[in-house]
Amino acid sequence: MKRFVLAVLFSLFLLPLASVVFAAGGAGPDKSMLKGVFTEINEAAHTAVLQKDGTEEFKNLIIGEHVKVESLRLGKKVLVSLDHNAGENVIKDVSIMFMDMTLKKLFALLTVGLVGGILSGFIGSGGAFVLTPAMMSLGAPGAVAVASNMCHKFPKAMIGTYKRWKYGQVDVKLAATMATTAIIGVQIGVQIQKHILNKWGNDGSNLYVSAVFVVVLILVGCYVALDAYKLAKGGKDTPEQASTLAMAMQKINIPPMMNFKVAKVRISAWVTIPVGLLTGMLAATIAVGGFIGVPGMIYVIGASAMVASATELGIAFVMGLWGSIQWGLSGLIDIRLSVLLLATSLIGVQLGALGTTYVKDYVIKITMAATMLIVAVSRGALLPGYLAKFGLVDQLAPSTAVFLESLSFWALVAALGTAGLISTGAMVKGMLADRKETKLHIVAEADRA
Amino acid sequence: MATQQKKTKPYLSTVIFGAISISFYVLLFSNETLVTDTYTKGGIYTLYPIGTVFLFSFIHGAFASNLLNLLGIEAKKK
Repeated sequence: MKRFVLAVLFSLFLLPLASVVFAAGGAGPDKSMLKGVFTEINEAAHTAVLQKDGTEEFKNLIIGEHVKVESLRLGKKVLVSLDHNAGENVIKDVSIMFMDMTLKKLFALLTVGLVGGILSGFIGSGGAFVLTPAMMSLGAPGAVAVASNMCHKFPKAMIGTYKRWKYGQVDVKLAATMATTAIIGVQIGVQIQKHILNKWGNDGSNLYVSAVFVVVLILVGCYVALDAYKLAKGGKDTPEQASTLAMAMQKINIPPMMNFKVAKVRISAWVTIPVGLLTGMLAATIAVGGFIGVPGMIYVIGASAMVASATELGIAFVMGLWGSIQWGLSGLIDIRLSVLLLATSLIGVQLGALGTTYVKDYVIKITMAATMLIVAVSRGALLPGYLAKFGLVDQLAPSTAVFLESLSFWALVAALGTAGLISTGAMVKGMLADRKETKLHIVAEADRA
Repeated sequence: MATQQKKTKPYLSTVIFGAISISFYVLLFSNETLVTDTYTKGGIYTLYPIGTVFLFSFIHGAFASNLLNLLGIEAKKK
């Protein structure tokens, strides 16, 4: 009880810190962005008047050299980014906030929502890495895509957590500890990002994010894949047996010690906190904290893949809710996108969650490793372009650049598809085997009677 | 005789939650412009998108859960 009160007090102490944290999925909305409606466009003078959203304030803007005047539309809500290098109030880019919804876009959103949901329910994180680029390619501005995705992620994670909690897989205390420390981690991550952005500009920032993405995903992905391969080869399911690293960590006896009942782990807070911090830092850098959170809980803390992936959903709920409030305050959530994704992802997440009750622990690891490694390919394909922009390698030929960009996008789609197939396949196989077993059981009972 | 106790399938609740869910979607999309404009005003208006997704997740989540149940897709009984 005393420990619990201490934990609550500790969280309250950290709360003011959390208030400066922006979205868990990155550095939050860009402050130099304006939101509003054009009330006047003067093509000849290359100027425009923008009424700022929710205010009576009008702002005179200069249309930048590279902006096509025809692309500006009167009376539609737009996001305007300014080019501070070109002078004061110079427009760099204009994007229409709400894309027109067509039947094709509707089906695309429903499909990615379903697969993302299954993946999320199954491995605890999933979808964000492909949902955001998918929405952007459908025509949503980047900030709106991130915001709307986050606003769909937290209710999905909430339903998923509830389901998996019912199956006895969520360690609420571990989720709370990880979420609190992850929020601080996000703040550290955002500061590092800001520092890099100030020092090396946008290209440097892109290079940093991609490099971290590739290195972390390949290292962790290979480790998880190797472990899953060993477990699968042995044909055994040993979730109770923690990794060597986790065993060593559990031997560290520096107070305060924390007891996680569902995860069946007793470990020092000095081990748990860094894992949470790193999860948050990665969430702020590459927008998918789960890729380090789940392996961290498995290999460092010593939870089973089942408990770790379920607990990650709880963390995603807390961080997603927090992030959504931040993006909502800036008014960037396109609710249509969020609810359309929810229409299928709420079915998917429950399907994925119940699927975990039919599969062995290592299947979750295989799915996770496959996703991480293919996503690494996707991000890796962008590295040469960023390196060239930064002047570290020769400029790429235009055809190569286009090829690498489409390779990157399709690798993401492949990652989502592969993971969806592995998890659904394992789920169906498990269900059929279970039904057969039940049938045999009933026949045997009837024979005995 | 070994008889399995059969649970009644949640036909009624699936239909009710489904109907409420569909009407919410119709309501939102038929007032698309008003909704998107109001929901993106920022500040206190944040409560709209957050509240909406909570509402949708409870109603539509309940529908999804009942639907899976109806289709016989359930978690493994230990």
